[in-house]
Amino acid sequence: MVDFTLEPKAVLDGFDKIWNSTRLRELTELAAVAVSVPKDGAVALNQKLKAAYGRNVPAAGESFIGKGNTRVMSFAKDQFMILFDHAAHSGIPIVEKKLGNTGYYVEQTNNWVFLELSGPQARAALERVCPVNTHVDKFTVNRAERTNIEHMGTVLCRTGDDTFLIMSASSTAGSFLHALETSMDYVSQ
Amino acid sequence: MIINHPLLGPRDSSEFYHLGDATLIDRPNREDVNAAEAFYEYLYVRDNPAGKYCELWYHEQGDRSWLVVTRDTTTHEISEVKLASDEARARGRSV
Amino acid sequence: MTQDMRLDGGLVDRSRTISFSWNGKTMQGYQGDTLAAALLANGVKLVGRSFKYHRPRGIFSAGSEEPNALVQLRKGAYQEPNTRATVAELFEGLEATSQNHKGTLEFDFLAMNDLASPFLSAGFYYKTFMWPRAFWEKVYEPFIRSAAGLGALSGETDPDVYDKGYLHCDVLVIGSGPAGLSAALAAGRSGAEVLLCDEDNVFGGRLNAETFKVGGTSGVEWARNAVAELEVMDNVRIMSRTTVYGAFDHGIYGALERKTDHLRSANGKPRNIAWKIYSGRAILCAGATERSIAFGNNDRPGVMLAGSVRAYANRWGVATGKSIAVFTNNDDGWRTASDLVEVGANVAAVIDSREIEPFMNIPGVSVTVGAGVCDTTGRKALKSVTLTTGQTLDVDCLAVAGGWSPNVHLTCHQRGRPSWREDIAAFVPGGDLPPGMSVAGAANGVYGTRACLVEGRAAANAAVKELGFTASRKGADKAEDEPANITAYWHVKESTKRAWVDLQNDVTTKDVKQAEQEGFRSVEHLKRYTTMGMATDQGKTANVLGLAIMAEARGKSIPETGTTIFRPPYSPVPFGALAGRSKGKDFQPYRITPSDKWARENGASFVETGPWLRAEWYVKGDEKGWRDSVDREVIETRKSVGICDVTTLGKIDIQGRDAAKLLNMAYANGFAKLPVGKTRYGIMLREDGICMDDGTTARLGENHFVMTTTTVNAVAIYRHLDFIRQCLYPDWDVHIMSVTDSWAQYAVAGPNSRNLLYKIVDEEFDLSNEAFPFMACADITICGGIPARLFRISFSGELAYEIAVPSRYGDSLIRILHKAGKEFNVVPYGLEALSVMRIEKGHAVASELTGQTTAQNLGMGRMISKKKDCIGNILSEREYMNSDEIWNLVGLQPVDKAMKLDGGSHFINKGDAPRMDTDLGWMTSVAYSPTLGHHIGLGFVKAGSSRMGDVIRAWDGVRKKDVEVEIVSAHFFDPDGERLRG
Repeated sequence: MVDFTLEPKAVLDGFDKIWNSTRLRELTELAAVAVSVPKDGAVALNQKLKAAYGRNVPAAGESFIGKGNTRVMSFAKDQFMILFDHAAHSGIPIVEKKLGNTGYYVEQTNNWVFLELSGPQARAALERVCPVNTHVDKFTVNRAERTNIEHMGTVLCRTGDDTFLIMSASSTAGSFLHALETSMDYVSQ
Repeated sequence: MIINHPLLGPRDSSEFYHLGDATLIDRPNREDVNAAEAFYEYLYVRDNPAGKYCELWYHEQGDRSWLVVTRDTTTHEISEVKLASDEARARGRSV
Repeated sequence: MTQDMRLDGGLVDRSRTISFSWNGKTMQGYQGDTLAAALLANGVKLVGRSFKYHRPRGIFSAGSEEPNALVQLRKGAYQEPNTRATVAELFEGLEATSQNHKGTLEFDFLAMNDLASPFLSAGFYYKTFMWPRAFWEKVYEPFIRSAAGLGALSGETDPDVYDKGYLHCDVLVIGSGPAGLSAALAAGRSGAEVLLCDEDNVFGGRLNAETFKVGGTSGVEWARNAVAELEVMDNVRIMSRTTVYGAFDHGIYGALERKTDHLRSANGKPRNIAWKIYSGRAILCAGATERSIAFGNNDRPGVMLAGSVRAYANRWGVATGKSIAVFTNNDDGWRTASDLVEVGANVAAVIDSREIEPFMNIPGVSVTVGAGVCDTTGRKALKSVTLTTGQTLDVDCLAVAGGWSPNVHLTCHQRGRPSWREDIAAFVPGGDLPPGMSVAGAANGVYGTRACLVEGRAAANAAVKELGFTASRKGADKAEDEPANITAYWHVKESTKRAWVDLQNDVTTKDVKQAEQEGFRSVEHLKRYTTMGMATDQGKTANVLGLAIMAEARGKSIPETGTTIFRPPYSPVPFGALAGRSKGKDFQPYRITPSDKWARENGASFVETGPWLRAEWYVKGDEKGWRDSVDREVIETRKSVGICDVTTLGKIDIQGRDAAKLLNMAYANGFAKLPVGKTRYGIMLREDGICMDDGTTARLGENHFVMTTTTVNAVAIYRHLDFIRQCLYPDWDVHIMSVTDSWAQYAVAGPNSRNLLYKIVDEEFDLSNEAFPFMACADITICGGIPARLFRISFSGELAYEIAVPSRYGDSLIRILHKAGKEFNVVPYGLEALSVMRIEKGHAVASELTGQTTAQNLGMGRMISKKKDCIGNILSEREYMNSDEIWNLVGLQPVDKAMKLDGGSHFINKGDAPRMDTDLGWMTSVAYSPTLGHHIGLGFVKAGSSRMGDVIRAWDGVRKKDVEVEIVSAHFFDPDGERLRG
């Protein structure tokens, strides 16, 4: 028996802050699995995906919420990501159970920091750092795009009218949070 | 600049990495008789047109796709954007 | 001082008095004033000294075109030089001072430059300061630097913060005069997303400076109503104090928003925001700028633009003089006289250069037609003007109306060339506008208010239709078209005194003519030879005048002579705004590893490698210098066990039926036959045969690999792999994904590394040499079921492993490894000790993979597989890359073991002089080896492999060193690798 126990640590220690009624917080219990579609394997994978989550792979730039509050988001051709509430370090076993061997899976749960920005000032804060047009008619709810914020690769997903899921590499989480916090400090009254 | 991505629509050029001439797709075969000469031509001999130019851009902070962008070097007008993988297939690189 | 020059009326808020100071003197103004308006209200005429001659200067204009009234605002670190008083909004407590004088503003020692003016004419830099050559640096340049220039920086760090941002719209309307407001209303009514920007703090443009009627009410009221209508439209955003300064590719515009310049304190909020605007269409409604007429001594304080004199009266309720004369070549100048009389200012005369019937009958004002002003008097304020008729008028303000130049600047930002319209004596936008841009109103040479409203609306309707919206049918509001006839009249030939063309750069008609005589005739040469059109105002009031005088001198028309075009920015943009947040520690993002916190707690010092912060060594106890720490870390690791964070290495997950093919293509050596559960070292070449990167790749399954790259090349290699799979082999079944941030990875190295790992690895995993030999890899679990990846690879040359866990456990794992390793006296080691150990083993890193070196240079030429294709394969076969004379990577040690070696030293044979042709190569890496007890180095030496044992010199011309070194094997330590296989 090994005498030592490993303790997990949230990337940003569960950051949570409110500026008036706009809130920025780290989502610490989210699992993410990247799925690549094998060549000539789209039909088989879509079948499984539809059975498991209710829909086919969305077009690049789109996402949907499937069964079990699972978000399936696609940023590229032949590649998508499945996100779901899960406190543990690995999401692959859960996805594999549903999709079998129809896709190539890469664990992304620990690769990212997941932040949620919500409230009336969310767009104004993003406007200072992100080139994406977040007008609700252009960047509709469930839209999910990769872009950059202050030179850092970013996944931006609109999860509600005033709510965004924002992801960046976990190693730059500190700089990334600083960018969003600074934006909030600047735009809030 | 703005690049009209075939899958994602107009994207800011800050999301992209620029490589250069799209003839880099046409990598010669090692088995070719004049392979050394062909590779020399492939790597070092380029046109430098004042006008329409096909070049490779990589959507690094985006969907990670390589694109073939036709850009006028005198005006920056972009007249066509294709996925490099489609272009490679069209140029006979399906193997 | 009271506000003696204040008239009735104007748009200022007289209920809110503001105190400010000018050169230490306290004065009062009103809310809504600019600093210039408040100074004029207080009778201040002299506000600055000119750039070259230090001539006394006063306020010339009422907007961003101001060439003269450059002042310093605020104090201490907040001090801002070269601010135009004409756009600086007044706030309570504003401290403003004049600049560019030695001594007081009233008595400037450098005014003697004016007496030396014959020597300071066009091109004087090039002529005067040529000889003797040695004088340039020691005498001339310091003299020019102290005499020229304008304001001074505080020398302190700018305490303000700045920001950037991104805006998106269907239609961008630039400028909010009648054309701009009309365009914004029409575009807004169509439902398109509209962005309206104006550099002013109030919307309305010239309407605020005029007494025009629009839509049955005053122009001011109409503008207010228009803004009110725009404000309630959800699809319209209006931004004041926002200058659109540049038109860039594909409908992108740059804009500077001045958020807090009008406030006493920014309260920690960004002072300026540099916006990047993405527009579908843009309508330029930037209006027009008035220009002067050149005549003798036309630069005295009190000589002003006529439209500005009118603006001070109408908008700010300020008379710019006690007795004002108007000198005009067009109808518009007359309106200044009539408006001034209307508000009770004293107008002495109107002088019109045209032989016309008086354009208006203004009671009490004398009129002279067919004449000009040829001279003025008054040193620090205008006292009188002399007409070509010989008549002298005692006036303290001369309003000059030389005609209006459309603000075509943004139409030129993509090489568009304006065209000349003789009927309005002005350049208008040419046909080659930036794509998506249209121009309306005065910027388009349309000067009547009615025409501006109509054209603004039409431009907006056309733009929204192109974007697929339905244009609103609502017509433009009613207004009159004011007469604006002009007869070009550029300078008063009867003048014998110096006549200024460009006030800011002290360029006179004589300078322009001299440039012509000396052959600097193209407009670009004219600009550079005379400096006309340079500096903060970019010649907004001067360029056309200068060009016209050049045309006259050459006996050609203006279009034949040329046009000036413009580059961004339209008006100055502070560097702070362009930098935004990117300064100091926020210059770039940092990447940190999961052990960062632990490392800080344990005395780590950090070094930047790319964006990563890596621990370079850990100071323990009373260690005095870095060498103490590094030597200890190396010795302890080789003696027992050490731990180093290697999380930063790039990690790429590669899966698919053709994954092995991708690796075979990317790496020079073969990977297809790598067994599952094994790791292999590989080198990657560029297509030209030069080494690109190296690293290890592990095969986790038949179709599943994980590649490591060097820390700094991770992004480039990922891109390269994508190039191979998308551009070269689009139908391979292979997918890649970066997992660099997924794993915290630690090297555990040293004879006790296995013993240490046994304490944390779950029991079912056998780490024995037989079960898990050198270069093995496996998915395992540790600490009771936590998944981990274990690789038996070694960079240090010791028995070593790299262990990776999901990054959330990284902090915990580093603590546990040190706790578990206590019995082995485990040490953490940093990047420096890692480097010492790799030099002892002769491993190459970026210092050796410089982008100039080949696998052959590195002694790995035989790794390039001949059985398969790979990137760089063919061109690496080139003859000269494979000759016996190439550089070989070798080890070097000082003959005198006490000597230190230096990286970058060049090698030469003993007895040779250090020259290019005797150069044998260079030292790439050096270290003190605590294991061997002396300095060692790696380096490239020409044909070095065949020169083992030879003694050569390591010569360093920069550090003045010359050390004899012996060529030895690069494998200084344990050359047979017994330790790492044990």
